[in-house]
Amino acid sequence: MITVTINNKKYEANEGEYALQVLKREGIEIPYLCYHEALSPYGACRLCMVEVTGGARPGITTSCTLVVTDGLEIQTEAPEVVRIRKVLLEMYLAEAPGSEAIQELARKFGVERSRFADFDIEAKGDRCVLCGRCVRVCNEVLGVGAINYASRGTKSNINTPWYGVSSACIGCTACAYVCPAGAIDIIDSGDERIMETWNRTTLKLKECVETKEFFATEKVIDHVYSKALDLPEDLKEVSAGSRMRRRASEFLPKYLRK
Amino acid sequence: MDEKVEKIIEQHQGKPGTVISVLESVQENYGYLPQQILEQVAQALGVPLAQLFSMATFYSAFSLKPRGKHTIYACLGTACHVRGGARVLKGVSQQIGVKPGDTTDDRQFTLETVRCIGCCSLAPVVKVNEDVYGYTTTDKMRGILDNYKE
Ligand code: SF4
Ligand code: FES
Repeated sequence: MITVTINNKKYEANEGEYALQVLKREGIEIPYLCYHEALSPYGACRLCMVEVTGGARPGITTSCTLVVTDGLEIQTEAPEVVRIRKVLLEMYLAEAPGSEAIQELARKFGVERSRFADFDIEAKGDRCVLCGRCVRVCNEVLGVGAINYASRGTKSNINTPWYGVSSACIGCTACAYVCPAGAIDIIDSGDERIMETWNRTTLKLKECVETKEFFATEKVIDHVYSKALDLPEDLKEVSAGSRMRRRASEFLPKYLRK
Repeated sequence: MDEKVEKIIEQHQGKPGTVISVLESVQENYGYLPQQILEQVAQALGVPLAQLFSMATFYSAFSLKPRGKHTIYACLGTACHVRGGARVLKGVSQQIGVKPGDTTDDRQFTLETVRCIGCCSLAPVVKVNEDVYGYTTTDKMRGILDNYKE
């Protein structure tokens, strides 16, 4: 355990963790977009800026990439930090005018309007802030890599190769789950899952043999079985709920009889 | 697998920074990055196709569309702009019948715009491949381009 000082108050922290993790754990409010606990730090959105006061490298830096060291002192509400944060939030409002989540985040940190709102930002769709969480979850966590950044500069966007239907996408929905902007649309309809945002890549859903609910895409099931060893075969055909019921009905009677 | 790309991959395999060099070789050999070839590259190198596409669309050295034999770079830098660069560009565009960024159907010419090639005193400047032409006009360009046609 080491000690860090945040806004003049001392906190315990684990060696090797990132300052943003400490801030989150201690409930110290700071906006961020590209950080996600399941993903490697990226330092792209710049919203999580803090000021490091003292030490070998004082100055303003991103807390999501700042590894804490014993005696580290940081300020989250230094005037310059707040100023940068607000300008960035204004930019994000302009970049994703259609994202309610982004508007809410901006409002929470005191930004209602954007001076950049009239800038013409092409091709990105109107909700994405290019934080790259979806790209990283698809690559790092799933090992699928169906989507990535495409193009550059004001034309940057997240997309599938050749802006077409993806043959790699397994329809796991992890991208939509981690997206902080609500920018990814997925529609389940009948036995199909349509990844609207990924150029309507469509996947077949599997029906639970017990409850008849559609619980996962066939490709997700194949993917899981290709990665994990020794999974019981019956899990391929039942939903999570049915799975629990099955296991429970196998084990419970043994204990109840006694 | 396409033989050419097989050789390219063989040459680069196992070396660091493989992906970008393979893309460069593909661009050189095929004149652009064809989708089917990149699919084969992705498979062979074990890199997601989306990553290759990302690199291919990031670097302007790569093209996803077939390129012409000759590339025309019409300068729209400040000096060329004030001396009528945009007009020359429009003229050339009409002469060969394609918009900037595109290639003629006969694959003779690709038209590109650039921002300053460092010889503003010759404005308006047009570069064809590595040849620089100064004080250009729409009329002059017609003659110049004729020399490149086969
Ligand atoms: S779609 Fe969402 S998760 Fe992906 S880059 Fe855009 S905002 Fe981030
Ligand atoms: S959360 Fe730190 S830069 Fe995005």
